[in-house]
Amino acid sequence: MSSYFEARNLDVYYDKVKALSDVSMVLGEGDIVAIIGTNGAGKTTTLRAFTGLTRIATGEIWYQGKRIDQLNPDQIVGLGISMVPEGRHIYPLMNVRDNLLMGAFLRRDKAEVKRDLERMCERFPFLKERMRQQASTLSGGEQQMVAISRALMARPKLLLMDEPSLGLAPKVVREIARSILAINREDKVSVILVEQNSRMALKLSSRAYVLETGRVALEGASEELVNNEDVRRLYLGA
Amino acid sequence: MEQVIVNSLILGMNYALIALGLTLIFAIMNVLNFAHGQMYVLGGFITYYALQVLHLPFVVGLVASVVVLVLVGLLSERLLFRRAIRVSTREESTMLLAAGLALLLESLILLFFGEKQRGMPPIISGVYQVFGVYIPAGRAFVFAIALASLIGFVTFMQFTRPGRALRAIAQDKEVTALQGVNINRYGALGFGLGAGLTGLAGSLLATIFAVNSGLGTAVSIKAFIMVMLGGAGVVSGAIAGAFVLGFLESFGYAYMPGSVTYMLIFAGMIIFLVFRPQGIMGKPWG
Ligand SMILES: Nc1ncnc2c1ncn2[C@@H]1O[C@H](COP(=O)(O)OP(=O)(O)OP(=O)(O)O)[C@@H](O)[C@H]1O
Ligand SMILES: [Mg+2]
Repeated sequence: MSSYFEARNLDVYYDKVKALSDVSMVLGEGDIVAIIGTNGAGKTTTLRAFTGLTRIATGEIWYQGKRIDQLNPDQIVGLGISMVPEGRHIYPLMNVRDNLLMGAFLRRDKAEVKRDLERMCERFPFLKERMRQQASTLSGGEQQMVAISRALMARPKLLLMDEPSLGLAPKVVREIARSILAINREDKVSVILVEQNSRMALKLSSRAYVLETGRVALEGASEELVNNEDVRRLYLGA
Repeated sequence: MEQVIVNSLILGMNYALIALGLTLIFAIMNVLNFAHGQMYVLGGFITYYALQVLHLPFVVGLVASVVVLVLVGLLSERLLFRRAIRVSTREESTMLLAAGLALLLESLILLFFGEKQRGMPPIISGVYQVFGVYIPAGRAFVFAIALASLIGFVTFMQFTRPGRALRAIAQDKEVTALQGVNINRYGALGFGLGAGLTGLAGSLLATIFAVNSGLGTAVSIKAFIMVMLGGAGVVSGAIAGAFVLGFLESFGYAYMPGSVTYMLIFAGMIIFLVFRPQGIMGKPWG
C-alpha cells in the first residue's frame, strides 16, 4: 500500500520559525517529481528533511517501506538516496577525481567504482581531461556536472536535485536537463527536482508540487499544472 | 653554521608533526586545541617512563606514547568536544573546554610523573660525519622517524579513503555527511590522529631535550605560531610554519642571548601577519 517514497505531514522549524507546515509528497518508482516555488518557499528545507540534514518536528518519511526520518544523513545515503545540493557544493580544493570518489565513499566494489568513473566521463566528456584538475578551476556548468556525477557515483536509486540550473547559461541548462532525463531513463533513477526554473521542471517531470511559504499550495500532473491559470501567471510568467 | 642548519632541520621535522596535529584538529573539528602542548608533554613522559623506569626498549615507549595519545584524543572528542559542539552555538565554548583540558592534563602529568625535569640518554650512541658536519646518531634517528611519519601522514591524507574523507570534512561538513561519511566517527578519528602526532613528537623530542610538566603551554604557543605562520588548516602550511620556526629558533639560540630569540620571533610574526594574515600557504585546506 505504501508508495516508493512518501513524506507525510511534515513540519520543520528553524529555532522557533516554522519553515514547513503539513507538507506531504509522494513519488512512484521511476518518476521525476518537481518541486517549484519562489524564494524562501521551503524547497531546500524539504530536501534537507528528506536527507536527514534537518530534523522534522512532526510527520513521517518513508522510503521503500522503511521509515527514514530518524536516520542520519550518512545512513540515508546508504539506502540509495543521494542529493545534489543547492549551489553545487563541490569540494573546491580537491581534484575532480577525488570529488567523484567521495560520492562513492560507501561503496566497496572498487572495480565497479572505476568503471563508473568512466561512465561519468561518457556522460560528461569534459570530465576526462579534468580528472586531475582542482575543482575550483572549473566553470559553473562544469562544477554542476561534477556535483551531479558525484551524487551518481553512489549509485543512488533516488536522486534529489536542488536547483541544478541555478546561475547557468541557457545552453548549459539544456544540457543539464538532457542529462536529468538520461539519468532517469537509462540509469533508472527516480528524481525529485527542485527548481525555480519552473518551465524546465514542469517539462521534465510527470508530477509536481507548488510550495508557497512552507505549504503545498498545489499539486498534480505537470501537464495540468502547466495549463493552470495561477501557475502560468505566478511561475511561468505567462 | 652547518651544525645549526642540521639542528634546524631536526627541530623543524618534529615541529611539523606537532603543527600538523593542531591544524588537523582545527580543520576537522573547528576546535583550537589549547591542550596540544600538554598532549606533547604526556607523550614525552610516557616514553621517559617506559625507558628509564621500566627499562623497556625505545620502540615500546614510542608506540605507547602514540597509542595513549590517540586514545586521549578519541576520548576527548567523544566525551567532551562532541557534546560541547552540539549543545553550544558559541565558538568560545570549545576554546574554554580545550583550556580546561590543558589544565586537567597538566595536573595529571604532575601527579603521575612529578615536577622534575626528565631527560634520557640518546637512543643510539655514536656520531655520523656527513660533509664535515657532526650529526649525533640519536638525533639522526629522531629525524628519520619524524620524516617517515610525516610522509606516512601526508600519504594517508592524500591517497586513502579515510584521508580523503577527512579532507572532505575540512572543506564541507554537511556535504560530506551526504556522501555517507559518519561525521562523528571521523571527527574522533581526526582528533585521535592529531593528538597521536603530537604525542609522537613528544616521544621523539624527549630523547633530545628533556621534558617537564610545565612545558605544555610553551609548546602550545609554538604550535599556534607555526599554524598561524603557515596558514590555519593547511597541511603544507603547517609543515612550512614548522620549518620556519625550527630555523628561527635554532639560529636564534645559536647566535643570540637566550630570551631575545622568542621576543624577536613574536615581533616578526606580528608584523608578518599584519601583511599576510592568512599565513604563508593561506587557503582553507589543501
Ligand atoms: N538555516 C536556517 N536558519 C533559519 N531559517 C532558515 C534557514 N534556512 C532557511 N531558513 C528559512 O526557511 C524558509 C525556507 O527556506 P528554504 O531555503 O527552504 O527556501 P527555498 O525554497 O529553498 O528558497 P530558495 O529558492 O531561495 O533556495 C525561508 O524563510 C528561510 O529564510
Ligand atoms: Mg533553496
